[in-house]
Formats: sequence, C-alpha cells, structure tokens
Amino acid sequence: MSNTQPDVVASEHTPLKPRDVSFSWDRTPLHWVPGDPFTTHTINVLHLLLPAGERWFVHVYKQVLPLITDERLREDVMGFIGQEAMHSQAHDDVLPHLKALGLDPTPYTAQVDWFFEKLLGDRTLPPGRARKWWLLERVAIIAAIEHYTAFLGDWVLNADALDRRGADPTMLDLLRWHGAEEVEHRSVAFDLFLHVDGSYRRRVRTWATAFTALVFLWQRGTRFFMENDPTLDGGKASFTALRHRGRIGMLPSTGAMVRSIPRYLSPAYHPSQEASTAQAVAYLASSPAAKGSH
Amino acid sequence: MPRIRTVALIAATALLARRALRGRISGSPLWPMPALDEPVSGRSGRRRSLAATITERTSPADGVVQLRLEGDDLPAWTPGAHIDVVLPSGLIRQYSLCGDPAERGAYTIATRRIEDGRGGSREVHDALNEADEVEIRGPRNRFPLVVADAYVFVAGGIGITPILPMLRQLDAAGADWRLLYCGRSRATMPFLDEVEKLGAAGDRVTVVPEDERGFPEDERGFPELDFTAAPDSTAFYCCGPEGLMTAVAEAVPPTATLHLERFAPRAAPSGGAFEVELHRSGRTITVGPGTTVLAAVRAELRDVSYSCEQGFCGTCQQRVLAGDIDHRDELLTDSERDDSMLICVSRCNGERLVLDL
Repeated sequence: MSNTQPDVVASEHTPLKPRDVSFSWDRTPLHWVPGDPFTTHTINVLHLLLPAGERWFVHVYKQVLPLITDERLREDVMGFIGQEAMHSQAHDDVLPHLKALGLDPTPYTAQVDWFFEKLLGDRTLPPGRARKWWLLERVAIIAAIEHYTAFLGDWVLNADALDRRGADPTMLDLLRWHGAEEVEHRSVAFDLFLHVDGSYRRRVRTWATAFTALVFLWQRGTRFFMENDPTLDGGKASFTALRHRGRIGMLPSTGAMVRSIPRYLSPAYHPSQEASTAQAVAYLASSPAAKGSH
Repeated sequence: MPRIRTVALIAATALLARRALRGRISGSPLWPMPALDEPVSGRSGRRRSLAATITERTSPADGVVQLRLEGDDLPAWTPGAHIDVVLPSGLIRQYSLCGDPAERGAYTIATRRIEDGRGGSREVHDALNEADEVEIRGPRNRFPLVVADAYVFVAGGIGITPILPMLRQLDAAGADWRLLYCGRSRATMPFLDEVEKLGAAGDRVTVVPEDERGFPEDERGFPELDFTAAPDSTAFYCCGPEGLMTAVAEAVPPTATLHLERFAPRAAPSGGAFEVELHRSGRTITVGPGTTVLAAVRAELRDVSYSCEQGFCGTCQQRVLAGDIDHRDELLTDSERDDSMLICVSRCNGERLVLDL
C-alpha cells in the first residue's frame, strides 16, 4: 500500500515491554534546572501534553488492532501501548506536585484534555469509510508525533549540559527513562502507519498538522508556565531564549529541530535511521526508576 | 492605483487583527481553546509515590521487624489499608499499616522474615535500617472495616497487622468484637500484649499458640471460638496463611460476610476455575486455575489489548457487567474497581464474571 521505500535498519529492532516505574516528587524543586526557569518550564510542557496525549495514543491504537495482520507488528504495538500508558501515568503524577508548589497546571491541562478527547477524539462518524479515514488520519498523526518524541528522547539521553547544570536527578531520570523508551519504540508508530496505509500524501499532510499543533501547544505552554510561575515577576518566554538554550545545549538546538523536518518528509525515511537503540537500552538498564522492574 | 490601495487595505487589516489578537491573548493567555468540563489529567490519584524515611526499627516479636516511616504529607488511611514499599532492589511489596490512623505524618508496618519466600521480607530485614529512605505508594484499602452489629476476627501470626488498628477503633467505639489469634508460639506473635490488653475487659481475645495448644482448627471447625454462636449480622475478618483462611471460610456460617486479606503474590495465576461470559460476543469461556482471564479471552478475541501482563500498565482494563471480582492489581482506584478489572492479573471470587467484550 505504501508508495515510499523506507530504508529500514533491522538491527535497531528490540522487543518491547512496559516497565513498572515510579518516581517520588516530594523533593523536586519548582525550578528543577537550578536558576533557569525558562529551560525548566519549556521542558515542563511535557507534563502538560503527555498525560492526555499518550492516553489518546493508547485509545487510538486499541481501535486499530483489528487492522493489523502482521504478528510481530502486533506484539510491537502491544508493547508500545503499555509503554505509552506508563509514560502518561508518570507525567500525570508530576501535575499535583506542580500544583502543590503554587503553579496550578489545571487551566492548561483541561484544554489539552479537550484537544485530545474532543477535537481528536472519536467523533460521531458513520461506520465505514469516514470512520476508517479518521482512524488512519490519527494513526498517521501519531507517527509524526513519534518522530518528535524520538528526536527529544535522543536529545535528552545526550543532554550532558543538564547534568552539568545540576538538574534534579529524579526529573532527569523521568525524562531519560521516557526518552529511552521513546527511542526504543521509535519505529512502531511509523511501521504501523506503513502497515495500515503508508500514503505519502497522508504522511505530509498529517506531519503539517502535528507540527503546527506541537509548536502552537508548546509555545503556549511555556508562556503559560512563565506567566503563572509564582516566583517570577512578569516572566516571559521568548524565541531568543529558546535559541540561546539551544546553543548551550540546555534545550535542543534550533538547527537540529529544523533539520529533523526534511528527514521525516524524505520518502526513504524510517525511524530506525535515527538515534541508537543500544544507548536507550543501556540507559534503561541503569535508570534508578526502571531498575528492578521488568 | 487600485493595487496599492488593496495592499494597504490588507496590511492595515492584518495589523488591526494582530493588535486585537494580542490584546485578547494578553487579557486571557489561554484564549481561544475550550477546556474539558471535567478535566482528566493531574487527578488520577493512581500510583502516587511518596518518599519516607525510616525513623525507627524495632522487633515486636521473634523474626518480625517493625518500621516506622515518616514523610511529609502522607495521605490519611483507614484500618485495613496497606501500602506498597519499593525496596532498594526494585521489588515492590505490600504491607498492612498497623499504626494509629489518627497520627498524620507517619506509617507503621511490620513484616515477618520468610526464608523461602520471594525475597521481599528478607530484603526488609537485611537492607532497611533507621535513617534509610524508601519510596512508598498508596495507601489503599482492600480490607476495609464495614459497619456491623458484631465482629469476629481470626489472625494468623503476622496477619494481625491489618486487624490491630481495627481492634483499637472498635474498642474505642465500644463495639462487640472477638478475636482468635493463632501463631507458632507466643514469642513469635507480634503485638500480643497490646491485643490481650485490648480484649481483657470483655474476655474478647483467644490466643492459640501452636506449641502450647496445637492447631486452632480441627475437622469440626474452630473449637476455641464458636462461629455459629455469632449473631446473623456478624462481619468475619481473617488474615493469615492460606490454610487458615481456607479453614475459616469453611467454618463461617453461609449467611455471614467474610473478609479475607491475602499475602498472595499479585501476578500469580492461582485460584479456582471460573467462567467468563463475553457479553457482546455472546460467548462463554472457562478460565482454568493455571491461566489468566486475559489468556482465555485472547484465545477467543485476538484484538483485546494488553501489555505488561503484570497488572501495572492498565491497558487491559475491561468493564465488568456482573460477578464478584478478585482484584489483584495495584493500579485501579477504588471507584474503578467497582465496575472494571485488569484482566491480566485479576480473577473471580465466585464462579462467573460477565465482561463487556
């Protein structure tokens, strides 16, 4: 069905299983990157988007199971949804902590909930073509989002600047456990998209949707946090600050973000060409939260 | 020059629109997205982790270690509740709270060392010391104290831990209760002094150490405590080894309600066979003692979702239309437990479950 020739790196495949992690937030300060509220809050936007977003992934994928005819892909998808469910729960647990620290995220998360549950929800569609079209569209959106989660996962696994700056170890472990699992399962969403549809036009169209939504929600989330942070007086988020943090390695660099766009749109793209499964698995073997879980 | 006029008009409109938008956004930064009426994120209450410090380690009986855990903002609990303790190796074990529910900021647990167990109790005894920090989750209550006219408790050894706070509460309220407390020997039975003191006034406590008085049960039931003499509306509670709980279940009058607290491993597919009706598919399947509901359902319905198969990820949660669920996960909230289950680990207390599948 696909009209592209993805260049698959088969050695990057690994069996997927969710890990029973837990994090305790009692000792994580509001500005968990010390003295850098902008970086803290830019990354904190993950806690706003992921609980609802990854719940939505699971919701969509449960509906797509009957369309899967490949047993290995089915197993990958089962592992994927369990990992995503754990990510959603783990980020969700940060929200009450932010509220306790005086930064109530609810006005924003209630909108993200609306975005994923209503705007991108099941909608009242007649069974048949319309319903299937909307399902395939959402599967393709997830594939595009997963390109960025893998990009961010790969970035955070290598973001030594955060360690040097003395970022909170629990938060770093959450981000890196999550990032490593995103790298580990980075091919599943794209493989599923290729399996059920794979149309290049749909890939480009849904990439544009997902990219626009991500940029819109992310800048909005960062501004929301900066403006409502009880310790900041007139906190502002700016593009200049983003470029600066990118240059010093506290956030992904603007250049890397721009370069990731044509890669996804290349007809030969396959997520296995990006990042390293070996690095992800190595981190998971040493992560304090994932250690001892299965 | 109509072209210049058009460009100027468009530019002016764009500027005005930009100003209007800016004003609107600075007035309320979250305009214009609507919000979900009942937000979901940030309020699941599932699996909240807490950091606690061990402030006291004592030994209330031979082979038993008692830990006092203190932390900021520990949630309130009711008698019968337990917490998950994440041990340094990553093992997660459940322990009943045996302290005072009125005391906020501290939890007390007690555990017996089991040499041939799964390793959790050995790790508590060998690796947890005063001033150590542990991660805990919960509390959760699957063994709550119900309102009844009278209460009968049967505790086996360390099984006294969830029951002790119940006895304190009932005694303070002047309720009618009796306790049969069994164990290997008096020296190995924790909290014996306190229990005997609580029951001294009304002769409520019967202590049966095996080395002095033999097993508490014989083929006719429990000679020390006549279960049938209890009034009809008596609530029976038992926590102890599997054999003791089976004997109590047989001795309890059929009309009475029996509450059991197991120390069972959470993912072991053990327990009797039962039937599961898949309501929407119109099929009925049998779940054997060595298998799980998930495995039995998958044989019929290929597209049922699941992932961890250990009761923590929640992707196999299914709605239950009828039947008495034996919840064995540590994830679902109490209200979710009313009408849904994780089919990878949870089972059935009776003979039949009806799933919305």
